[in-house]
Amino acid sequence: MGGTHKESDAGDSNNTSGEYASIALLEQIRRRGRVWRDLSAQYGVENPDPPWKVCLEGTCEALAVQACALPVLERRWAEDELSETLYQGVPFPERQLLALAHTMIERGLFGEDELARRIEKVGERLNSV
Amino acid sequence: MNKSHHAQKATGKGDPQCFTGEAGPPKFKVGDRVRIKDLPDIFYTRCQVYTRGAVGEVAVVTHESPAPEDEAWDNVDRPEWFYIVRFKQSELWPDYPAAYANDTLQTEFSERWLEPV
Amino acid sequence: MAKKSPGEHKAAPMVEEVSDFEILELAVRELAIEKGLFTADDHRHFTEFAHSIGPLPAARLVAKAWLDPKFKKLALEDGVTASKEVGIDWLNPTGFGTPSDYTDLRVLEDTPTVKHVVVCTLCSCYPRPILGHSPEWYRTPNYRRRIVRWPRQVLSEFGLQLPENVEIRVEDSNQKCRFMVMPMRPDGTEDWSEEELAAIVTRDCLIGVALPRPDRKQNAQRPVHKAIHPVQHDH
Repeated sequence: MGGTHKESDAGDSNNTSGEYASIALLEQIRRRGRVWRDLSAQYGVENPDPPWKVCLEGTCEALAVQACALPVLERRWAEDELSETLYQGVPFPERQLLALAHTMIERGLFGEDELARRIEKVGERLNSV
Repeated sequence: MNKSHHAQKATGKGDPQCFTGEAGPPKFKVGDRVRIKDLPDIFYTRCQVYTRGAVGEVAVVTHESPAPEDEAWDNVDRPEWFYIVRFKQSELWPDYPAAYANDTLQTEFSERWLEPV
Repeated sequence: MAKKSPGEHKAAPMVEEVSDFEILELAVRELAIEKGLFTADDHRHFTEFAHSIGPLPAARLVAKAWLDPKFKKLALEDGVTASKEVGIDWLNPTGFGTPSDYTDLRVLEDTPTVKHVVVCTLCSCYPRPILGHSPEWYRTPNYRRRIVRWPRQVLSEFGLQLPENVEIRVEDSNQKCRFMVMPMRPDGTEDWSEEELAAIVTRDCLIGVALPRPDRKQNAQRPVHKAIHPVQHDH
């Protein structure tokens, strides 16, 4: 990504992007994760956005400031491309979250294994009673 | 790109306001007809392909700022004037319906992209 | 809102399960903090800001301008200064603006013969401090690519059909300026207060894909269309 750009060919039926390889961990979440659209309908919640959306926005902002680990435009371009390819069909903002995690792994900000371990820890914490 | 120096410069003023007075006199004024140059954009630009070569009219002289082509590489030493240019849609899209000949599109350019017509 | 009486307070329904996405969000954030990409306090600060923004200040700015010609003049000449009168300081939350927005607001005034509509074809630049977060459709490649080229077609998908003699003026927000539309005050709102007027200036009116109507206080429901072709960065 970075400053480079390309004209994508309009290969409609071909949803694979030459540039983005799928990441097993995120692929699993994409397939298995329950999206807000379904959860809110099931529990009769009217808020159109999941509670974590605003935290995700905070993360995106914080990544763009100071050390500037992930500039806004690069994040948005990657999100556009991933939304049209690997995460096509995933609703918003789940799609934005998957794209962000994908981009951060791809840029080496953290590794897939690291993220998997952290997900396990956070999951235990959030599900403890 | 480290933004901390930028933060310092822009604090209390905002960006682009922090570059006010750094670009010298603007080359164009409201009403001037300009053509969008077709410059190479190998690295980074915010000048859309669909405006290249088109002729429009300066609608607003907006502010001074480094061009994104420079700023993306942290080069903020050469601010330029920016202009909102108004195009007839038919100038941008040859197949735009003649019935809507009044329709226009505006977008913004740094001075390096404009040449007088 | 349901009316509540003391003693029978009932909490709003909650989602009673933790989703994989909720866990992923927190995991990503914690790793970023651990790696020193930002601090927990940075994050809290930006999240608080993200929570605080919405389209109401922009709606109030328009309503105020409809009522006060002097304020209207200010809004059209200097959007950032005018924003202060509706409680928005563009230098928040960092002292130099947000990390993803610049601080030059331009207010586009509709007239009987000119109708503005805003897009950002490059990404999704949006006047967030005064208008809140952009709607999903504004971010889609479909809207961004088609509105510049077939504005009348896209506007009619929003239910907005305009006569031939009205100039549709698309504003492609590609640099540091941010744009909001000041629509015309509709008939049937004579003697309305600023608050009443602000209520009909919905987010969609401020982006320019809808017109305010005395009987409509909500953005219309709109399905998000998927792009027909993969995204293409038009530059």
